[in-house]
Amino acid sequence: MSEVPVDPRAAALAVLAKADSTMMQLTQAVNTLEKEAQPRTVKIGVSSSATVDLLNVYLRKHGLLNGARIDLVAGNYDDPIGDIDLFTQAGVEQIVLLPFFDNLLPSFEAQLGNLDPSIIDAKEAELRQRYRMVFDKARAVPAIYLGTFHRMGSPADAAGQDAVAIVLARFNAALRDEAAAYANIRIIDTEDIVRAVGQGAAFDTRFYFRSKAPYTGVYMNELARRIAAAARGFGAHFYKVLALDCDNTLWGGVIGEDLLNGIKLGPYDYPGNIFWRMQQEFAALERQGILLALVTKNNPADVDEVLHKHPDMVLKQSQLVAKKVNWEDKPSNLRALAKELNVGLDSIVFLDDSSFECEAVRQQLPMVKTVQVPTTLSDYPRVVAEIKSLFLAGGIAADSKDKTEQYRQRAGAEELKAQFDTQEEYLASLELKVELTRNARASAARISELSQKSNQFNLTTTRYSVAEIEQMMEGASHAVYSLVVSDKFGNAGLTGVAVMRYEGQAAIIENFFMSCRVIGRGVETGIWPRIVADAMQRGCTELRAEYIPSAKNVQVADFYNRLGMPAQEETGEGVRRYTIAAADFAAPPNPWIEMTYVE
Amino acid sequence: MLNEDALKQVMATMLNVDAATINEDSSMDNVPNWDSLRHMNLVLALEEEFKVSIPDEDAGNITSYKLIKLVLNDLGV
Repeated sequence: MSEVPVDPRAAALAVLAKADSTMMQLTQAVNTLEKEAQPRTVKIGVSSSATVDLLNVYLRKHGLLNGARIDLVAGNYDDPIGDIDLFTQAGVEQIVLLPFFDNLLPSFEAQLGNLDPSIIDAKEAELRQRYRMVFDKARAVPAIYLGTFHRMGSPADAAGQDAVAIVLARFNAALRDEAAAYANIRIIDTEDIVRAVGQGAAFDTRFYFRSKAPYTGVYMNELARRIAAAARGFGAHFYKVLALDCDNTLWGGVIGEDLLNGIKLGPYDYPGNIFWRMQQEFAALERQGILLALVTKNNPADVDEVLHKHPDMVLKQSQLVAKKVNWEDKPSNLRALAKELNVGLDSIVFLDDSSFECEAVRQQLPMVKTVQVPTTLSDYPRVVAEIKSLFLAGGIAADSKDKTEQYRQRAGAEELKAQFDTQEEYLASLELKVELTRNARASAARISELSQKSNQFNLTTTRYSVAEIEQMMEGASHAVYSLVVSDKFGNAGLTGVAVMRYEGQAAIIENFFMSCRVIGRGVETGIWPRIVADAMQRGCTELRAEYIPSAKNVQVADFYNRLGMPAQEETGEGVRRYTIAAADFAAPPNPWIEMTYVE
Repeated sequence: MLNEDALKQVMATMLNVDAATINEDSSMDNVPNWDSLRHMNLVLALEEEFKVSIPDEDAGNITSYKLIKLVLNDLGV
């Protein structure tokens, strides 16, 4: 018998994916995988008021499971302010902050019953001040994961509201309150981690009293998993769309056979109550900015009948951004959906009850996150909870709230497209209005967010923190132009940004990025005459630009060519550089856009 | 009977050194990577790999190959 060769990489990944791998197996697997090239490297600083060295191997594990090599920079014990300096010098992109309750004062939990309230007040004030300084120093760091406080011991009192519980709640509120002012902070609820893994399994007091290391590997693994989720797999994914099958996914039974009165859906009776409950969850996701679409093999009239006439149907037509209700295969429909919404296939989560359909999508579109409705229906809520965490773990900006509305406008516009002879006629019919603003300070957070999210239409893929945007707006060497697009269907919000840098005679387009939902209407070329005119007014005579290729931005590889700029050179890595005399610059005309300008 | 190769493997992995460098005389004093932080992970890994629970008073003190062997033997490994 010949031996089956074992791929060390696959074997190592299997060890990482297994729940009961020992720490030594994990360490070996992590070491093996880190020797190989990974798609991404993320540098993370870990700052804690306890000893959390054990977290490292688990962060590296969850990084590798998401295709990212994690480079860790360890902070010093209980010195978050000093750590931020350390991390900034080391160039970290993300910071994990783990304050520790029992260390706020020596054996704080045990002391609490004896402390004068004034000391607790003073401690809270100091805590707020300290973390305000930490957060402020770390403003420019793209992402911070802040673990809240948890207790180590259980309350002796059955009512649970002992002195520790009361102060813990108060201090956690203080932390959240201070963190709320900073858009780059994501909260990790550590009390929930202790609950999830169990109080007994979370802590190992042997090394706590000796070395202030309170946690077990089980706790650290769950903490690292949640950090990875909050970091969207360390940049691996950013899900935006939930594509739903209908029969046995949104309701029990088959509408084409069981008919309107036969399908199982309603608040009270099993199994209809499970489907009804899941629809409530989907509807809540929609309200938080997730786009819902139907991708289902049914007769359109049958599905419409349920949408409009079923008394217990939770999801309504208005909550669905698109419907692919037909008999074509699911991969084709998902491709069409991605195209219609102008999102990448890798931003879609697909939920279906059929193993056949799930497998077809997994094979043909591996970038789509495919989830199957469990055959044991009582497991369905757990599966949907996982789907929710895929979407929500990274936090959703307030501006994302009425996304469905905006995307639906786009989908509506897509349908109209067919009726016009020329693209120009069509664009004119949209009554496009673009408002271009220079240095819109109030929008700094949204501008930064857009720079983080835009991948396809992003000329250099430079990401900006809120602080960097603010700095450029205030400084004389830069200007940040942002644009808000609206048309007769509605307002698409702030969807494009040009960052200009001025060096002597040269005006340099440092980056230009747009949300894909407004591309293809001439907006991307329409704003430039004004920006170039501004530059000339400052005395610039030359306009320069650069395209840096990434895995996702091929669609704009020749953007500056289209803008009428001659390419000067192209490097081996595909970087293209452009220069033109400002006086010679003439963007393609697009008379169908009504431009307004706000200083 | 304690499998000394397995012990060396655990120590090498957790202390991030080559297994060939671990011998009878290895200790916290002469293995540069063996610091108090790595020591905790080493104890946790020894417990997992040899399926024992190392008593509190020993956990911090087994800072050499010989001492680890002694404690593991005492625990019936």
